[in-house]
Amino acid sequence: MTEQLPIIIILGPLLGAVLAAFTGWFRPRLSHPLVVLGLAISFAAALKLVFIVADAGAQKYWLGGWGEKVVPGQKEPFVVGIQITVDYLNTLLLVAVSGIALLTSVYTRRLVDTELAGRQRYFYALFSLLVTGLLGITITGDIFNLYVFMEIAALSSYALIAYGRGRAYMAAFNYLIMGTMGACLYLLGVGFVFAKTGTLNIDNVSAIIPALLNSGQSQALFVGFVLILLGAWAKMAFFPFHGWLPNAYAHAPTAGAAILAPLATKVAVYTMLRIMVTVYSIEYIIHSPGIQSLALYLSSLAIVIASFFSLTQTNLKKLASYFVLSEIGYMVGGAWLANKPGLTGAMVHVVADAAMTSALFMAIGCIVYRLGQAQLDDLKGVFFKMPVTMAAFVVTMAALIGVPPTCGFFSKWYLIQGAAQAGVWHFVAALLLSSLVKAIILFRIIEIGYNRVPHPAIEGNPAIPRNEAPLSMLIPTVAMALGLIALGLGTSTLVNTIIAKALPAALAP
Amino acid sequence: MEKLITNFNYVIVVILMMIGLWAMLAQKNLIKKCIGMAIFQTGIILFFISIGAKNKAKVPILSKFVVENSSAIIVNDYANPLTQILMLTAIVVGVATLGVGLALAQKIYQQHSSFDEDEILENQRK
Repeated sequence: MTEQLPIIIILGPLLGAVLAAFTGWFRPRLSHPLVVLGLAISFAAALKLVFIVADAGAQKYWLGGWGEKVVPGQKEPFVVGIQITVDYLNTLLLVAVSGIALLTSVYTRRLVDTELAGRQRYFYALFSLLVTGLLGITITGDIFNLYVFMEIAALSSYALIAYGRGRAYMAAFNYLIMGTMGACLYLLGVGFVFAKTGTLNIDNVSAIIPALLNSGQSQALFVGFVLILLGAWAKMAFFPFHGWLPNAYAHAPTAGAAILAPLATKVAVYTMLRIMVTVYSIEYIIHSPGIQSLALYLSSLAIVIASFFSLTQTNLKKLASYFVLSEIGYMVGGAWLANKPGLTGAMVHVVADAAMTSALFMAIGCIVYRLGQAQLDDLKGVFFKMPVTMAAFVVTMAALIGVPPTCGFFSKWYLIQGAAQAGVWHFVAALLLSSLVKAIILFRIIEIGYNRVPHPAIEGNPAIPRNEAPLSMLIPTVAMALGLIALGLGTSTLVNTIIAKALPAALAP
Repeated sequence: MEKLITNFNYVIVVILMMIGLWAMLAQKNLIKKCIGMAIFQTGIILFFISIGAKNKAKVPILSKFVVENSSAIIVNDYANPLTQILMLTAIVVGVATLGVGLALAQKIYQQHSSFDEDEILENQRK
């Protein structure tokens, strides 16, 4: 049974999506529990696999049993099938994606009932399909298969964003143009790699590439690498390609943004990490210093510009979208530092940031559910009205700023260490600036939400009635915020048992 | 120059992709953007098919007769089936993306009675 676990991770949400769409015809109430069930199965499988991988190393699975064929007269076995792999690099992200999706699916029920009444089953089918695509990107061991899953995730996210209606259509259209361009560039890069290596299997490609580079045939591989990189950057809304993201996430329905914002960009960052660390080796990165310094400058710029724009925002959802943009700069920069603390920081931050963004959008969703909108000026007295939600919100903001013992502190610590070791001081400065800006925004929100109304505890002032979001939304929000602290305390265990082994052995300590 | 003539298929692919990319990024009309997207995808499909093509190659289907009557199958006689299958998938993805794109364009038209990006943004600002 345990050897079937990798495929169960994808099958859970996929079957959930299909069943939710079809049972919705006659039993609309069934679609939500079916999706939750599918995600729960997927999460359980992913959690079990973490322990198996930590004990026994990478788990490989051949779809349909079409594995390696030994051709008579040839030494190397010949790969015919599509492989899915769970190794040290992706096992934690699988748990993060399926876990966050499970919590979010529970969380979104009340929100969807009010925001998208009558269209619930389509929403849940798309939700589950999106998670299928994201899990597929993370788990696959085949670079073309990755493209297909990328498009599954992308198509369902265009539709999810368009559910916001009004301005959301234009935002979704812009995302569609940018996303298709990214996916096409990725596909073109895969074409170059395939033309040189003759295989699409990640293990095989990474075994063949060093020999090709040594024999001087590096031009086509270099072009392929750059195209794949540009594609991944467009997908993750990295600095020059970031224009679509703030509008798309701000105009999407709150329930859709709660699943898109934490996961979609993080999985694209994982794609880049997979290509950099496993497919092309890390030596290749170190030996292409031109791209390295360009990527580092762009990351610093991404962080600085996103921080600057976040200061000028008046809408809470849009503000949070700019936070997503600046966090992408952290991860890309960390990966391109190409040293041990930098890469560790990037890998920890992919998981940590998924959790932080999820908690942030959940808290914002609770506020939107009760207040009806998310303008900063509407937040007057919100700390008295919704104390539990705002406690979770403050913990999340503390994690984004990087206050110990939350997970944001530890990943940022690794990143700063890596940048200092590589001597990239502009990246250190950008990281610190972004923390400062987030602290300013947190205090501005506290000022509006706490100080701009007469304090109700003082006699003679009007009492502010408590009006928390329903429990089905509040419990996931609080659980996610507490999870940030737990993840922070467990960072060293995770790094020692799993992430340290995902780093290439050739890396200087 | 000789290289360009012998590799004319790649030259055409690059021209197609540039037309598509330019239309996607520089055109103001949403439908033209969609058309550009389709052209860009077609360019990539042709690129993949070019990689797998071989001179005077046959369709990559082995009949029972060939397998039983020849001692060794010469790989160079057959076109690479993998690229063709990959592009079947890519065509499906392309059609789906184009469908979603056109559906969104239609919704935008219903709201603003225009496909022009500048006009729509102007309308949204009001």
